Amino acid sequence: MIMLKKILFHNQDKVQFSIAIIGTCIGLLFLLSSIHYLVKINEFGKGEEILGPNTMIIQKKVSSASSLNLTKTDFSFDEINRFKKEPFVADAQAVICNNFNVLLLTDDPLVPKFSSDVFLQTVNTKFLDVSSKQWKWKKGDDFVPIVMPRDFLVMLNTFMSSSGIPQVSEELAKEIQFKLRISNEKNKEFVVAKIVGFTNEIPSLLVPESFMNYANDAFSTGKDGKITNVMISSKEGEFGRMEQFLNDRGLESRKSQVVIGKLKSVISTLFLVLLVISITAVLISGLVLIQYLQLLVYSNKYEIRTLLRIGYQPKILIRCFTYYFAKIFGIILLISFLLFLIVKYIVDQLFQVGGISLNNGVSLLSIFFAIVSFCIFVFSCNLVARRKIMQEF
Amino acid sequence: MIIRFSSVVPHPLSDHKFHDESIWNSNFELDSTLNSNILLNASSGKGKTTFSNILVGLRKDFSGCIEFDGKDINSISIHEWVEIRTKKISTVFQDLQLFPLLSAFENIQLKNEITHTFSEDQILNFLDNVGLIEQKDQKVSTLSMGQKQRVAIIRALCQPFEWLILDEPFSHLDIENSKICFDLIQSRCQKLKAGFILTALDPDESISFNSYLKL
Repeated sequence: MIMLKKILFHNQDKVQFSIAIIGTCIGLLFLLSSIHYLVKINEFGKGEEILGPNTMIIQKKVSSASSLNLTKTDFSFDEINRFKKEPFVADAQAVICNNFNVLLLTDDPLVPKFSSDVFLQTVNTKFLDVSSKQWKWKKGDDFVPIVMPRDFLVMLNTFMSSSGIPQVSEELAKEIQFKLRISNEKNKEFVVAKIVGFTNEIPSLLVPESFMNYANDAFSTGKDGKITNVMISSKEGEFGRMEQFLNDRGLESRKSQVVIGKLKSVISTLFLVLLVISITAVLISGLVLIQYLQLLVYSNKYEIRTLLRIGYQPKILIRCFTYYFAKIFGIILLISFLLFLIVKYIVDQLFQVGGISLNNGVSLLSIFFAIVSFCIFVFSCNLVARRKIMQEF
Repeated sequence: MIIRFSSVVPHPLSDHKFHDESIWNSNFELDSTLNSNILLNASSGKGKTTFSNILVGLRKDFSGCIEFDGKDINSISIHEWVEIRTKKISTVFQDLQLFPLLSAFENIQLKNEITHTFSEDQILNFLDNVGLIEQKDQKVSTLSMGQKQRVAIIRALCQPFEWLILDEPFSHLDIENSKICFDLIQSRCQKLKAGFILTALDPDESISFNSYLKL
């Protein structure tokens, strides 16, 4: 093998080879970085928010006219169906509100007595980042799962610290037992409730649809329930169109949702552009390397032909060229990965300064793409070497 | 191994008229088991190298049919040619086909690595026999033509074979060295019970063959 290398790889154009290596290295660095940040930006905020990605609650803008009942602030089912048909809308569902009185009470020996009137709302499970096993209720169940607004936890903690009791974390709050008193003028019922998640986006408690239907039927105050909020989710990267749509129709959402959504959309688009450029760069530099392989085979035509004539199997020579270029690409990949870690450290610091704290881990997708590009390159090298060497037989 | 020729004519010689004794456009067979030492003697341009190259599958531009043990060589696959070139037919090419960047020893060892025929000591012994032991580590590009021919001959012996094809192997050797190399070839062929075909412009009369072919 040493002698084969001595014969086959002595005749090299070092300048062209170096340019191909540097090009591939830069291409791979951009590829790893863009995929990593594309994934991380899309993951940003996940886990903290129980509402699914790109999801927001919209309502009609309240104006002086609507205050005087001149314009409607509720949504009809026709309107919601029209939302669903928009090409940038992934889904839209009515947010159903309670049509009965609700009081939330603490029911835990470790927590002081506390009660507050609350509003209940319900949205379809597909908008929530919560398992469908947790998010269900039927009559006779031990407890009703609830999603609590974070502001409510802040309020609860304020109350607890003023009572001289340590504040509770989100995880601890999930262990506290609550009770919901649902009632109308004639009847009332207590049901046990447990927190399964928190949200920044909805100011009311969320409960499963089955519970809301049951309570609305059993304790209705007789007034008509109106749909004033609609939960809507936009398709990936379509946030700009969604925002335009909301503006055109006099609809509004919470500012934070719009800002985060817009920010994610803009950064994702930037990284998507960078990803396209990186893939192109990797493809071009990979092609330059493969062209270099062709040139190397061509410039060693005599050696290859002679080796075949004295009895060397074509597959030995194909393997020799493939291994050599696989090793080169492997080293390039390793260097690119180390450079990526340095770039990642710097960019993460910049994001940190900007107030965006991203997950520290390296995205598995970028490692997957690196492995895929390695496999594609090795396969292409093998194919080209095979074609060229067999021509010499 | 029996090589059978049936009306074989290389395309570049298709317009030529061949005399009755010519191997071109005639039917005959060569049997390696008969300890055949064959001399193919002809002047330039008659097709000596074409004959050698056709037998190792480097040229396919001919009409007629050549069979190896009854198999048409045009139907032999690449894999089978590799087998033939490493186990059945060994060749000393007219242009020697050596690697100029490798030493004399490395050129021989390169072949020996795929056939595992001789030990390093045996190869050194061969080099010593043909008077090249001092040049063993010298790059082939710096050797004389005669020295290169001797390296190519030893390389060709580094494999099992049933036929050894030598295309003008002694063209740059003096009588003494030709004799040494011929004895080496003959002894190896006898050991392997193989035959050889040697092409030459002006054969050395001190070397005797038991069969002759003409072009």
